Amino acid sequence: MALSATGLSLRVAEFPLLDNVNLVVEPGEVTAVLGPNGAGKTSLLRVLVGELTPDKGEVHLNQRGLHDWLAVERARTLAVLPQHSLLNFPFTAKEVVMLGRTPHDTGATQDRAIVAEALRAVDGDYLADRVYTQLSGGEKQRVHLARVLAQIWEPSPLGHRYLVLDEPTSSFDLAHQQLTLDIVKSLAIREVGILIVIHDLNLAARCADQMVLLQCGAIVASGTPEEVLVADTIKKIFQVDAKIGAHPLSGKPLVIT
Amino acid sequence: MRLMSPHRLLCALAATLVPLLLLAMMMGPILITPAGLLTATAELFSGVPSTQDGLIVFAIRLPRVLLAALVGVCLAVCGTAMQGLFRNPLADPSLIGVSSGASAGASLMIVLGGGALLQGGQFAGLSLVAVGAFGGGFLAVLLVYRLATSTTGTSVATMLLAGIAISALAGALNSLFSFVADDEMLRRISLWQMGSLDAANWPRVWIAALAVIIVMTIMPRQAAALNAFLLGESEARHLGINVDIVKRKLILMTALAIGIAVAVAGTISFVGLIVPHMVRLVIGPDHRYLVPATAMLGAILLVLADTVARVVVAPSELPTGILTALLGTPFFFSLLVQKRKYEVS
Repeated sequence: MALSATGLSLRVAEFPLLDNVNLVVEPGEVTAVLGPNGAGKTSLLRVLVGELTPDKGEVHLNQRGLHDWLAVERARTLAVLPQHSLLNFPFTAKEVVMLGRTPHDTGATQDRAIVAEALRAVDGDYLADRVYTQLSGGEKQRVHLARVLAQIWEPSPLGHRYLVLDEPTSSFDLAHQQLTLDIVKSLAIREVGILIVIHDLNLAARCADQMVLLQCGAIVASGTPEEVLVADTIKKIFQVDAKIGAHPLSGKPLVIT
Repeated sequence: MRLMSPHRLLCALAATLVPLLLLAMMMGPILITPAGLLTATAELFSGVPSTQDGLIVFAIRLPRVLLAALVGVCLAVCGTAMQGLFRNPLADPSLIGVSSGASAGASLMIVLGGGALLQGGQFAGLSLVAVGAFGGGFLAVLLVYRLATSTTGTSVATMLLAGIAISALAGALNSLFSFVADDEMLRRISLWQMGSLDAANWPRVWIAALAVIIVMTIMPRQAAALNAFLLGESEARHLGINVDIVKRKLILMTALAIGIAVAVAGTISFVGLIVPHMVRLVIGPDHRYLVPATAMLGAILLVLADTVARVVVAPSELPTGILTALLGTPFFFSLLVQKRKYEVS
């Protein structure tokens, strides 16, 4: 079981956004997608979660075609955290997180308990009764993180669960970047498959089991952080001279520019 | 933080609505005492009303008050649906072309029909003007929906633009009909557009009740979907909502219900826009409470406005549509101010 894409191609107005992309998000692993602006990271993500239909290729969620799923069942299995949210109605933070329980029918008592735990997980206890529209950008993003956590909180009888995150750390301070990566890793330990689009190479190296580098809609490098983060590849893709060191504690690659 | 808990607001609204309905039946050019109302009620249940009070209540006041309440429910709840669908607190049913389409339809009938059709032509208790209004409104929404729907689904943004375009087209037609109309027709057209409940009768009450049944069967079931909608369409999809089915249901519902409301009461502005807004200021945007609360507040506001319209220049009366805005705006302002104070402290 996995969230897998085979031979994805996508063109918009004759401009190729994705070109024969193959990708497997394994449960229990963190897969990070990296690449320069316009490399097709977000397009890939949108095809993988069914927002865009590819011209060629297929996406399978737990061995079933993405579009063969019942909407509600798919939502219990696959959660998506977008980069920006359009929400501009004055829900409380607690109510926003509760929206994550929409596809479930576990009952109000259990849902409330899950919402409280999810908020605690993102260090958002103190936000529970505050009005969402009055929160800071980072706080809003944490509330949405709690929302997608609540959506896939419990193991599902429909197979492994997956969480797709589009640049989740972009509006976070240092402590909450760290917290997000910890959450992602602990989800992976609980057999959730994670796909994360991220710009910071070092943050990616710290949390990813598998890294995928995209350029012009095609995969140019993939493998473990050690295999992907080498000076030549970074020079070729980002046009930046970089030294690769090792993190003094974890031993993971450290890109110094 | 909220001004009031949803349950308290629902109780408060219910506790206001019931006495208001009774009060509205007593008020009018001829005052009916509580005792008179009691006799009239007894007569209603025992058979044919015979006293003067009984006749007034049965033939005039009861259908009028009921019609006001039912139309208020339709306008307010459809406003809630549109604001949720468009994720915009400033949306209202007129956005998808229903009001301007209905105006054009009504004007066409007034101009075509002249005097004869207006007096004689009836269809299921509705004048031909009302039928024209319903047809015009429904047709406009259908056009807007078709324009915004492609193989990839219905685009809410395109619908907004199509709504503006169709409204402009209907507005032009309306002006054209007004241009060719004579003075008497012109007065009828402009009075119709102000919205009034003075044509209330029992057939209209039953038709409006049908609209309320449609709205109140569909909307409570869509509350969770509408909550998810506020996050954005993609997010709603990721939460397991069949976005296109929900959109189609809500648009069809609004076209039917507002088409009927406009047909029986003319274009009454303001209720659909402001009532959901007022309720959200007090209890927040959760549609599970928003729907019943807006239904009751819509009824309250329209019954109140209509009662004042009947009493204030008695024995003549004002068009109800003028009073909804006159009464609602100060209340809305006071809520805004109160909310601001509350947030600062």
